[in-house]
Amino acid sequence: MASEARVLVIDDEQVVLDSCRQILELAGYTVATAADGASGLERVDDFAPDLVFVDLKMPGLSGFEVLKRLRTLDPTIVAIVITGYATLSSAVEAMQKGAYDFLPKPFTPEEFRLITRRGLEKRRLVQQTLALRREKEMLREHFATIVSHELKSPLAAVQQNLLLLSTEVAGSLAEAQRRRLERVMGRIDALLQMINTWLRVISTDLDKIKEGFRPTAVGTVVAKALDAVQPLAARKGIEIQTAFPDALPPVWGDEGTLVEALVNLLGNAVKYSHPDGRVDIAASLEGGRVRITVTDAGIGIPPDELPHIFGDFYRGTGGTAAGMGVGLGLAITRRIIEAHDGTITAESVPGRGSTFRLTLPAAVAAPPAPASSATEPTQAARVGGVG
Amino acid sequence: MSQPARLMIIDDDPDFVAGIRGVLEGAGYQVDVAYNPRAGFEALRRRPPDLLLLDILMGRGAEGVMLARKMRKDPQLSQIPTLIITGVREQIAFLFPGQAVHPHILPVDELMEKPVDPQLLLDRVKALLDAAARRREAG
Repeated sequence: MASEARVLVIDDEQVVLDSCRQILELAGYTVATAADGASGLERVDDFAPDLVFVDLKMPGLSGFEVLKRLRTLDPTIVAIVITGYATLSSAVEAMQKGAYDFLPKPFTPEEFRLITRRGLEKRRLVQQTLALRREKEMLREHFATIVSHELKSPLAAVQQNLLLLSTEVAGSLAEAQRRRLERVMGRIDALLQMINTWLRVISTDLDKIKEGFRPTAVGTVVAKALDAVQPLAARKGIEIQTAFPDALPPVWGDEGTLVEALVNLLGNAVKYSHPDGRVDIAASLEGGRVRITVTDAGIGIPPDELPHIFGDFYRGTGGTAAGMGVGLGLAITRRIIEAHDGTITAESVPGRGSTFRLTLPAAVAAPPAPASSATEPTQAARVGGVG
Repeated sequence: MSQPARLMIIDDDPDFVAGIRGVLEGAGYQVDVAYNPRAGFEALRRRPPDLLLLDILMGRGAEGVMLARKMRKDPQLSQIPTLIITGVREQIAFLFPGQAVHPHILPVDELMEKPVDPQLLLDRVKALLDAAARRREAG
């Protein structure tokens, strides 16, 4: 175990290098030495040390500079500074700059062995933490795939056979049996949808959509959202009215997720409306931001629930059992809108209806991303051309 | 068109296959099945069907995607109209209801998510077969 550990010692005193090498090699470690900072840093790549001792006072590159560059080369390498008693304060400073510990000169072989063991133990912990974090990220990334395949596949197979069965036996079922079969399929559908929704919340890194932001026409987003909601609205006899000014600038964003956000809002408006009711969606430009408002005249949200509706797993108590979702629609919507640098608010009067307002940055000028526009000077012009 | 169209299903879930096979056979199609990508590819080469229904996520990884890529390299197999049926739409793209994104792994492919509405399945199969017939007449 110890023999696998690699220690690099950087010191301008040959005596120190020689004695350190002797002590460490006797203890079974693999050792490399360097007489100055620059050549020490060169060894980091090929020698790949677990632990580096750095003398703070060296001609040429200072120990502080070596520490700094070491951290940029590989922040997981543990560094310990060697220093004289007179420079204890600089040892503290070195630790503030990322050194794990310091070793005052002169030191005994036993002190050196002890601090080496401690440094390597620290390295082991750092690596373990890193491995755990990597594993967690992997699990997070692949969770969707695992759950999808393992949970959805059997459900899809069951549903597929029920669909077939229901056509095969269509003529020979009594009304009550037909209704029961329909309910069974309805429940499986709901279960599949619930899995889909959870997957979206758990596995989606919404920050990633920012990479694909472009000027997006609000009209297109609304039209696509209306397409998705229209069947549900038609079934309840609900009319969805739209009100748009003639010229509305595009918004800076991702069409797919914006449609999803609006589908959620419109879907809720329809779901919580009374049959044969009316839902309004309006858009306007206000101070460089596009405001979209979705209003229904439905059952409304009780005042004590209103502050919580955008939280994860919130479920309204007002809906009928059939209209209940899994309580993630508004949470996803909020996350999507926030990823777009937008805002979302809700107002509601129980028994009178609810209004959801969201604002999104209009894409009339350069995108609100200074870092990317700085590296891509043509972006502003390109955006202006499209918008 | 006296002969019924020949369809092939490549999917590793026998229960799911039974579910769509019944629908397709009920509509008069002749249906062959392969339950893994390797047997599927051999069957495709031996006797190319008029239309392929392919699960792209068989086995440990996306073995169906590999199969589709192999098909694309083959001048004859790449022309088979293919209905890609998948249980995991999320991984293909960042999606939202009703707006399935096409992977377009093959020149002529359509994407459907499991479970598939029987009538929708029959509509898509017919549309793909009709389009292929029109291409043959034109070409």
